[in-house]
Amino acid sequence: MSLLNRDAQGSRPAIRSPQNFVAGAFLIFAAAFVVFMLSGLPQGTLRAMGPAMVPRWTAIGIGLGGAVLVVLSFLKEGEALERWQLRGPIFVLASLILFAVTIRSVGFLVAAPLSMFTAGFGSREVRPVELAIFTVAMTVFCAVVFRFVLNQPLPLLILPAFSIQF
Amino acid sequence: MDFLQNLAHGVVVAVSPINVLLCFAGCMLGTLIGVLPGIGPIATIAILLPMTFGLDPTAALIMLAGIYYGAQYGGSTASILLNIPGESSAVVTALDGHEMARQGRAGAALGISAIGSFVAGSIATVVIAALASPLASLALVFGPAEYFALMLTGLAFAVLLARGSVFKAIIMILIGVLLSTVGPDLTTGQLRLTFGAVWLADGIEIALLGMGLFGIAEVFRSLEHGEARQVKQTQIGNLLPSREEMRASVKPILRGTLLGSILGILPGNGAVLAPYASYTLEKKLARQPGRFGRGAIEGVAGPESANNAGAQTSFIPLLTLGIPPNAVMALMVGAMTIHGIVPGPQIMTKMPDLFWGLIASMWMGNLMLLVINLPLVGLWVKLLNVPYRLMFVGIIIFCCIGVYSINSEPADILIMAALAVFGYALSKFNFEPAPLTLGFVLGRMMEENLRQALMISRGSFLTFVERPIAAFFIVLAIVMLVVGILPSIRRGRDEVFVD
Repeated sequence: MSLLNRDAQGSRPAIRSPQNFVAGAFLIFAAAFVVFMLSGLPQGTLRAMGPAMVPRWTAIGIGLGGAVLVVLSFLKEGEALERWQLRGPIFVLASLILFAVTIRSVGFLVAAPLSMFTAGFGSREVRPVELAIFTVAMTVFCAVVFRFVLNQPLPLLILPAFSIQF
Repeated sequence: MDFLQNLAHGVVVAVSPINVLLCFAGCMLGTLIGVLPGIGPIATIAILLPMTFGLDPTAALIMLAGIYYGAQYGGSTASILLNIPGESSAVVTALDGHEMARQGRAGAALGISAIGSFVAGSIATVVIAALASPLASLALVFGPAEYFALMLTGLAFAVLLARGSVFKAIIMILIGVLLSTVGPDLTTGQLRLTFGAVWLADGIEIALLGMGLFGIAEVFRSLEHGEARQVKQTQIGNLLPSREEMRASVKPILRGTLLGSILGILPGNGAVLAPYASYTLEKKLARQPGRFGRGAIEGVAGPESANNAGAQTSFIPLLTLGIPPNAVMALMVGAMTIHGIVPGPQIMTKMPDLFWGLIASMWMGNLMLLVINLPLVGLWVKLLNVPYRLMFVGIIIFCCIGVYSINSEPADILIMAALAVFGYALSKFNFEPAPLTLGFVLGRMMEENLRQALMISRGSFLTFVERPIAAFFIVLAIVMLVVGILPSIRRGRDEVFVD
């Protein structure tokens, strides 16, 4: 990673656009991965295109694009890498995973408050009590609107021990 | 004047009580979600799409059209009151609209935006009705080579219109095309890039892409800033613009409508350019251009009309050629497919009720916004007063419910989460998600058409040059790409966006 850091002595760093360098490197890697994943599929001929033709050549195009970005990052001055704020994404991702795991096993009435309460902590200004009240209110609101008014296939509560499936 | 007769037939279909009710519900719900900061029309429609699954096809499309207009109106409301545009075309509205709000003229800005949109919508409806038949008959002579070339032109146009680096826009389109190939190959049925996962076997839903890249990713970005954005405790003021303001707005509205109608027809999301073009034009024509950016009502009236006219005429490529010109229309394709409708020139002849009913309902949706939604503006303001620390929690649960209702598949929520992280990364590396969506939308259709075209020509690429219509589109695409790369024209293009 020392390539990415600007030299303290003031000499010009080798990589002049870290943003383009990382993006380009990632694209090359992703394209190579896709081409590898497609290796088992036939490409066919132009006359009778196989399933791998379009994705493979598109991936190669993306890889070439990535290579150009990497080369450019050595030649042209560009922007530095931006900082990632991880708090928001981490809590929100956790809440999405919680929802995905619980919606089928215990149902919306448990999944929704659980995931909403988790997501709320993604904001630095979180106020737990307020969030808890909001969470309960939203759960009731969504259950009524989506399940009963709009008739969506939302499992509300599943408790196998009490053989409840609602 | 055949089309007027057809339009009248459409009105009869659209004003049935159930359709009016659904159009109204669509407008309300669309505004409700669209007004949330950072949620543009794409994410709104993606979230609300599953609600229409249970309806009959005509009713479902009428409700979706209502959702679309509601979402746009909600977006304008958020831009004017909060200076938070939900999508790039609302950026222009925010310039003078928010300035008007700060001067206590928010009501007039919201009013003129609704009135302008209504006028633009009414005219654009007639444009669609008039152009639909001739274009649909044109589409019948199109073969796969022509379709492929036309879609290529659309993508080239999208590159030209993308903000920021042209090169990055091309890469984005390629990534979109690549994502569209995930799932079964349409001819052989072989699975591609599914990593053996059952839940990828049908490919990626466009709605997931919309919610992930445009909904949740925006939440990530907004959470960085914290609670900086609050509704100004300003007076909304009188909703009806004064007589003077009306007089100043008439011409901008008409010019905006004309610009928007023309740009909206182009494949490749020309509609997104309409508000910028209108703003630039009004500024050039104004006697005192200095007023722009300081609350000039023309700067709201023109772009809003252009935006709405473009939004409406972008239905034309979808309904006549079966080519969705942008992500919103791609969601419409998704909705149609679920109801077993294949978009394209045959809709008009085979399902006249649906076709003309949908067109008439567009006009009705605009009327609803004007007479029902505008008076409710106080309600939307209250909604905007909900602090973001709670609002984003609501956005997330709406997205979860929206995703789950599509296929009742929890893994779809994880795909959306992955796309959200990807979208957040794109913004960190200065890539625009809009060209990606278009590549995704057109990718699968392009592959099929390319395959058929080459099959017919026995593997020769010359077919794209020998067939005159195809050759025309290919040349057009090349010209647009060259124009996009030429530095002198690029500078002009950037100015439009900077303005």
